Amino acid sequence: MVPTAMVFKAKLWTQLATIFKRTIRKGTPFKQTVVAAVLFMGLAAWCCERAVHEVSALAGQADTARQSSQESSESWRTEFDNICAKTEDAMTFSQEELTDLIRRCDSLQPQIEKLDESRKKVYLERLRKCRGLYAYVLDAKKKDKK
Amino acid sequence: MPTSSMQKRKTRNDNQRRLFLFARGCGILLLACIAPAQIYLPRPAPEPSEYGKVILDTYSGAEPGAVVFDHWLHRSKFTCRVCHVDIGFAMQAKATGINAKSNGEGFHCGACHDGKRMFEGKTIFAACSAVANNQCNRCHSLGKNGVRKYEYKEFTARFPKGIYGVNWEAAEKSRAIKPVDFVEGLSVKIAQMQRRADFSVDAAFPWVEPINFSHEKHSIWNGCELCHPEIFPTAQKGTIRFSMFSNIDGRGCGACHGKVAFPLNNCSGCHSRAPLWVP
Repeated sequence: MVPTAMVFKAKLWTQLATIFKRTIRKGTPFKQTVVAAVLFMGLAAWCCERAVHEVSALAGQADTARQSSQESSESWRTEFDNICAKTEDAMTFSQEELTDLIRRCDSLQPQIEKLDESRKKVYLERLRKCRGLYAYVLDAKKKDKK
Repeated sequence: MPTSSMQKRKTRNDNQRRLFLFARGCGILLLACIAPAQIYLPRPAPEPSEYGKVILDTYSGAEPGAVVFDHWLHRSKFTCRVCHVDIGFAMQAKATGINAKSNGEGFHCGACHDGKRMFEGKTIFAACSAVANNQCNRCHSLGKNGVRKYEYKEFTARFPKGIYGVNWEAAEKSRAIKPVDFVEGLSVKIAQMQRRADFSVDAAFPWVEPINFSHEKHSIWNGCELCHPEIFPTAQKGTIRFSMFSNIDGRGCGACHGKVAFPLNNCSGCHSRAPLWVP
């Protein structure tokens, strides 16, 4: 079954096309100009509508990309926060725990290096400080054991 | 006997000459000792209002001009850790790479100065904002009169004073200042700090009082990672010898003391058996 609305739309378009054709063939120059103008404006409106649709689709894609990048940025940020939140307790960790924290710092570094310039500058420096502290405490613990 | 008299006079002259040469040698030696000592003596600290002032003039000559950063103003509001660890300001001049772009993106100065963040009930003005806010001169104030909002004398009038300027420890104790240690969105939520015991460090010379190091206070204000391993690279006592020379050079304690924390001329600040940090 074809929906009634679609049938109505098709009929309307057919009637409009017939009117336009008749006007262009038999109408006065004024009527012909008006029809041409209406057709031109319709075409322009259709083009605009398509363009707007495309732009909004692109914007949507960009939003999705931004969202996914934000999600991935949040994932590195969560890991960063988890690692660097432990600096005050560094002295209480075992050598194994400290080694693991250093390893996590090292694996996080390439992710931070991919960020934009400002973010990279700030977070690499902060990560360097965290890693440095863990390495320092680990070194101290190793020396104490000896 | 004329010969004997002449010999005696000659001997006396020789002795005098030797004495003169010896005195001259001693003088040269003394000067040689004093000259490097002069170089390494702590320079007299500037006025407290000028102390710790940082001029950021990487882009000197370009508008809107160099930035004047008053360390005393910010240290009254935040712990060292917030700015030097969480925000990432380096401890050495020109090592951070601050620029209008990074500020505008919400880093460095822009981490707090974003035009949205509230502090003490007021909105913190935006630094290097793309939107004109007529606030440029608040920071870009070198050589401009009457553009800065806070003046040292008025701002610190109610703070307890020490031998040199404000006694920040006493100011915190008396609640004249309440340095913030956590900034939402910037700081990492850290666990409750383990208590760090203060300890004593023997001075290199027996006649110098040992140093009573307030490890607890330093770790509360700075956090661990600000000092270790960059400034103090080893935990083993006696592994590295720190001296006043290295301090004056800006190493060890001199990374802060002599630049922004109380100056090195204030000997009793460290070399005293009496409790530290008492005004």
